[in-house]
Amino acid sequence: MSRGKGVDKFVVKREKETALHLKPGVFPLGRQSEWAAQNRTLTFAIHPLTAGVAVSVAGKEPREKISKDIKVYEPDERVYFCKTVAVPDGRLPFANDTHAVFVAMQSIMGQEAEEVGVEGLLRMSALYREAMLRQVRMLQDAEQQQQQQQESEFVEAEVEVFQSMHAIWHLLEIIYLATNLPGLNTSVVPYYMEWLNFNFPAPLAEDGQRIADSARDADALNGNAELWPYLRKLALRGHMTTLANMLEQVAPAQQLSAPAARWARELARVSREMPLGTNDETTGSFNARWRRWSNEMRDIATAISSLLSEEEEDSQLKSLFTIAEILRGEVDVISEEGDLWQDVLGAILLYSEPTAQADRLPALAQAVLKQFQTDEFTQLDRALVALLNHDLAEFLVYSNQIDSWLSAHTSDIMDHLGILDEWRSVFAVDPRAHYLHLLGEKYLSHRDLWHVGLDYFGQSKTSAGVSLVEESIVRMPLESDRRAQKMLGVCAKYGLTTAADRIHRQLGRQKWQRGRLGAAIGHFARVEDRNAIGQICDQLWAEYLKSGNLTYGPIIDGVMAGGGLRHDRLQFLTQYRDFHESYKAGDFVAAGRILLAILVDETAPPHAIPDLLVDAIPLLEGDGLVFSADDTFELMRCAEALTQSPLVRKSIEAAAADPMLPWTESAATSGQDELGIFNVACARNLARSFVVQ
Amino acid sequence: MNSLQVQPVARTVTSVRWLPPRAGNAYTDTDLHFISGSSSKHKELVLWTTTNPDFKQLNDSDTTDDTNALASLVAKTSHDGDVHAIAAASSDTIVTASSFGTISIYNIGYGTEKDCSLSLRESVTAHRFANGEPAVCTALAVQPIDAEDAEVASCGEDGKLSYAPISRLDALQSHEVDSTVITGICWPTPTQLAISTRAGQVKLFDRRTPSEVSSVFVDPSQSYDFECITSHPSQSFRLATGTNTGAVLLWDIRNPKQPTMEAFNVHESNVWSVQFHPTDSSKIVSCSEDASLAITQWVTGGSSGDSQNRGVRHLSSFFNALSINCFDICPFTRTSILVAGSDSGNLLMEKSPANEFSMF
Repeated sequence: MSRGKGVDKFVVKREKETALHLKPGVFPLGRQSEWAAQNRTLTFAIHPLTAGVAVSVAGKEPREKISKDIKVYEPDERVYFCKTVAVPDGRLPFANDTHAVFVAMQSIMGQEAEEVGVEGLLRMSALYREAMLRQVRMLQDAEQQQQQQQESEFVEAEVEVFQSMHAIWHLLEIIYLATNLPGLNTSVVPYYMEWLNFNFPAPLAEDGQRIADSARDADALNGNAELWPYLRKLALRGHMTTLANMLEQVAPAQQLSAPAARWARELARVSREMPLGTNDETTGSFNARWRRWSNEMRDIATAISSLLSEEEEDSQLKSLFTIAEILRGEVDVISEEGDLWQDVLGAILLYSEPTAQADRLPALAQAVLKQFQTDEFTQLDRALVALLNHDLAEFLVYSNQIDSWLSAHTSDIMDHLGILDEWRSVFAVDPRAHYLHLLGEKYLSHRDLWHVGLDYFGQSKTSAGVSLVEESIVRMPLESDRRAQKMLGVCAKYGLTTAADRIHRQLGRQKWQRGRLGAAIGHFARVEDRNAIGQICDQLWAEYLKSGNLTYGPIIDGVMAGGGLRHDRLQFLTQYRDFHESYKAGDFVAAGRILLAILVDETAPPHAIPDLLVDAIPLLEGDGLVFSADDTFELMRCAEALTQSPLVRKSIEAAAADPMLPWTESAATSGQDELGIFNVACARNLARSFVVQ
Repeated sequence: MNSLQVQPVARTVTSVRWLPPRAGNAYTDTDLHFISGSSSKHKELVLWTTTNPDFKQLNDSDTTDDTNALASLVAKTSHDGDVHAIAAASSDTIVTASSFGTISIYNIGYGTEKDCSLSLRESVTAHRFANGEPAVCTALAVQPIDAEDAEVASCGEDGKLSYAPISRLDALQSHEVDSTVITGICWPTPTQLAISTRAGQVKLFDRRTPSEVSSVFVDPSQSYDFECITSHPSQSFRLATGTNTGAVLLWDIRNPKQPTMEAFNVHESNVWSVQFHPTDSSKIVSCSEDASLAITQWVTGGSSGDSQNRGVRHLSSFFNALSINCFDICPFTRTSILVAGSDSGNLLMEKSPANEFSMF
C-alpha cells in the first residue's frame, strides 16, 4: 500500500522481518563453496493465496550451456515448502473468538448502526479486549509449562504482542468510544490513568509489599533505600491511598527530622483528600474542588521549600518536596521523575489538567515527547503516539507491524465510527479492506481457519474482497463431500454463482474420475453442463453395449430422484431401461411403443439408433403384431435417415473414433448387415400389418 | 435464542459421542465421559470428562468449580484421517469413521484421571472408489442389540454400505447401494437399516438381504439433499432427516407405499446432524451450518393437531460463529446434558434439568 506525502514523516522499518532457514540445509556439510561454484542458486515461487513459498535448487545457467559433469547432491532434488506467514495453533481460540465478535459487529452495524451507536461499539470493543486478555492469560499459563527455551521465547514474544495490542486497543477505546459517551464528566484523565496503570503497571504492588514486609517498624522502613523512590512513583501514578498509608507508616520514624515527619503526615492527609470526578458532576463544580485542593498542595510545597533552604541535607524532606511538587502538577519535576513518556503524560493530565478532554491529548503528548528520544521508541510507542496525535494513517502502518490482527480490527472499528473516511485519500486503496484482506490471507494459511479467512475477505464489503473469496474458494481442495457443501455454502453467502458452478464442475469431474457417475451427473446437472452429462450417458450406454448387462438403472434413479433434472440422454436411458423391463416382462406391445417413442422423439443419440433398430427386429419378427403399418413406416423412416443423413453419419463416425465407446470398423460393417435384416423384417411386418388391419 | 456454554479446544470438532455407563444401566458415576473427534490440522480423538450434574445437584451448596472448563481432557490419540463419525459400542469400545474410508475400533482404558488411555485395536478399509482412491466414510451406526457380535454398519462417498461384526472387522461385507453420496445411516430395528443420500432419498434395507433396497422414500414436492438421518428410539417407523436447505423432515413409514412426511424449517443452512431426544422423544434436536442447535417439538399438544402447540427452541453462542457439526445428548442422566462441536474450534454444552428442557 502506498502512502501520501502528507504523512511521510518517517521511514517505515520492517523490523520484524526474519530469515527462513531450510532444514535440512541445501549445502552438503562442509561443501558450501563447491556448491555455490557449480552453477547453483535457489529459486522460489510464492503461493498466490497463503503466502507459502516453494524453494528449490536451480541452475544459474541452462544445463545445456554448461559442462555435464556437475556433481548432483541429494538436496538438489528437494523442494522445500515454507510458510512466510504462519498462524500458531495457540492463536486459534483468539482467532475464532474475535472472528465471532467481528462477524456480529458487521451484522449489527449493517442493519441498525444508529441504534447501536457508540455504546454498542464500546461493548464490542470490550469483547475484543477480553479476548486479548484471555489470550495473554492462556499464554502465560503455557509459558510456565514450557520446558524448551526456544518455545519459551516464542511464547514470551506472543505475550508481548498481545499486551501491546491490548494497550493500543484500550487507548483507542478511550479516545474514540469511552470519552464519547453521554454524561456530564467527559474528562479523559480517569480513563487514561486506568489505561496507564493497567497496561504499564508501575510501581508494582509486589515491590510495595516487599518494602513493607522488610521493615519491622517505621525506622526500618525509613532505612530501606527503595522506599522514597517508590513513594515518588506512587505519587506519579496517582496511587493516593497507598501513598498516604506508607507516608503515615514512615512518619513516626526516629531518624526522620521533625519537619519531615510533620509534612509526611500532612501530605498523607491531603493526598487522601484529592478530589475525584464523577459522572454526575459538572466540570465547573469539580474545578472548584480541585482548585482548593491544589492550592493546599501548593502551600505544602512552598512550606517544604522554605524549610529546605535551611535543611539542605535532609534527603527525606527533599523527597517530600518532590512528591508535593508532583501532586501540585509541576511539569519539570514530573518530567524529571517519569521514566516513560506515558508516565509523564499521565501525571501532567492528573495533576495539571484533571478535566482535559480527549482533544487535548495531541498537544500535551507533543509537549511531553520533546523530552524523550523518539529514535529509541518501540513500535508500540510509535503506534500509541500516532493514535494520540489522531494520525490514523501512521497508526495503522505501525499497528500492522505489531500484528495484522490489530490493523485489520482497528481500521474496521474506525470505519464504523466514521473517522477513517478523512484518511482514505492518504492510502492508494481502501485501508480497511486492505488490512482485512491481509488478515484473511494470514488465516488462510492455517487449515482450521479457512472459513474465518474467507469471512475477512468477504466482510471487507469491497469487490476486491468478494473476488478474493471467489479466487480462494475455487482453489481449495475438495477433500470431502461435507467440505464441498460448506464451500458451496460460502459461495451462496457471498452470492458467488460462478465460483459455485466451478466447484460443482470440479466435483463432477472428481466423481467421474472416481467412477461415481450418478454423483457426477448430479453435479453437472446443477450447472447445466449438458455436454458433460451427455458424455457420461454415452459412457453408461457404452458400458451396456460392452457388457450386455443393463446395470445403470440405480444410477439413473438416483440422479432423477429429485425430479428437477431434464436431459435428453438421461431420458433416453430411462426410456430404454423401461423398454428392457417391458420386454423382459413379456409385454411386447408396451416395449414396442417405448422403442418407437425413443426413435420418433429423437431422444436417442444418433450413434445409438442402429442398436435400437436391431432391438426392434425381434418385435417385428415376433408371433404377435406389435407395430402397425404406420409404426413400421416410422421405423423405416428412421432407418433411411440413418443411411442418408450426413449429420447422423458424422455422429456415428465420431462415436466410432471415440476411444471410450466400443464401436469399431468391423462393428460398422456388421451394422450394415443388421440393417439389411431390419429392412427385410420391416417389409414382412408391413405386409402382415396390412393383412391384419 | 438460548445460549450455550463454550469451551475453546483449538481444533475443528467434527464428531462427539457420550460413552455409556461403565456398570449397569444406571449412571452412578460421578464423572461422565465423552469422546470428540476432530479434523483438518488436528486429526485426533479426545476423551473428555465432566462432572455428573445429577450428583452436583445433590451437593450443590458445597460444590464449586476450580476452573471454568466445561470438560477436562483425560486422554487423546491421533486418528488416521479426519474423524467423520464416532459410535459407542460399549463404555470401553468406540468405533470411528475416517476420511480415508477406514472403520477403526478403539479401546478406552479407564484409570485415575491421568491414567486413562485411548488405543487403536483394529482398523479396516471399508470404502474405496473404483479407481482405488479411498472414499470418505461419512457415517456409521452400531447395531442396537445387547450382544457381543453386534455389527457396525458404515456408509461412504463411494455409495457403498458396509457391515462388519465389531469383534471381527476383517469379516467386512460391502454392497454398492447408491449412485450418489450416502450421507447418513441408522438402525431403526436390529434387522433394518436406513440411509439418507445426497440425491434426497431415504432407502431401507433388510440386513438379511443387504444388497437389495427394500423401500425408497422421496419427497416429490421439493428438491432436497439429505445430510443425515436418525430413527425414533422406540417407534421404528418414524425417521427424521436433515436437509441441505435447513429443514428437518419427519417421516412416518408405516405404509411404505404412501409414507407421510412433515417438514420443519428450523435452520437457515445444512442440517449436519439430527436426533430424537433420548429421554423426551417428542422433540427432535438438530445442529446446522448456521451455527445453531434447534430443539423442535414435533408432537402436537392435543388431539386437534394444533400447530400452535409446537415450538422450536434455538441454542447458540455469541462466541461460536461457525457451523455446529455434531452433537450428542447424554441418555443416562436425569439432567439433560447436550455436548456439541463446531468449526470455530469449540466444545459447546448445555445442562438443563429434564423438566426445564421440556419447557418452551
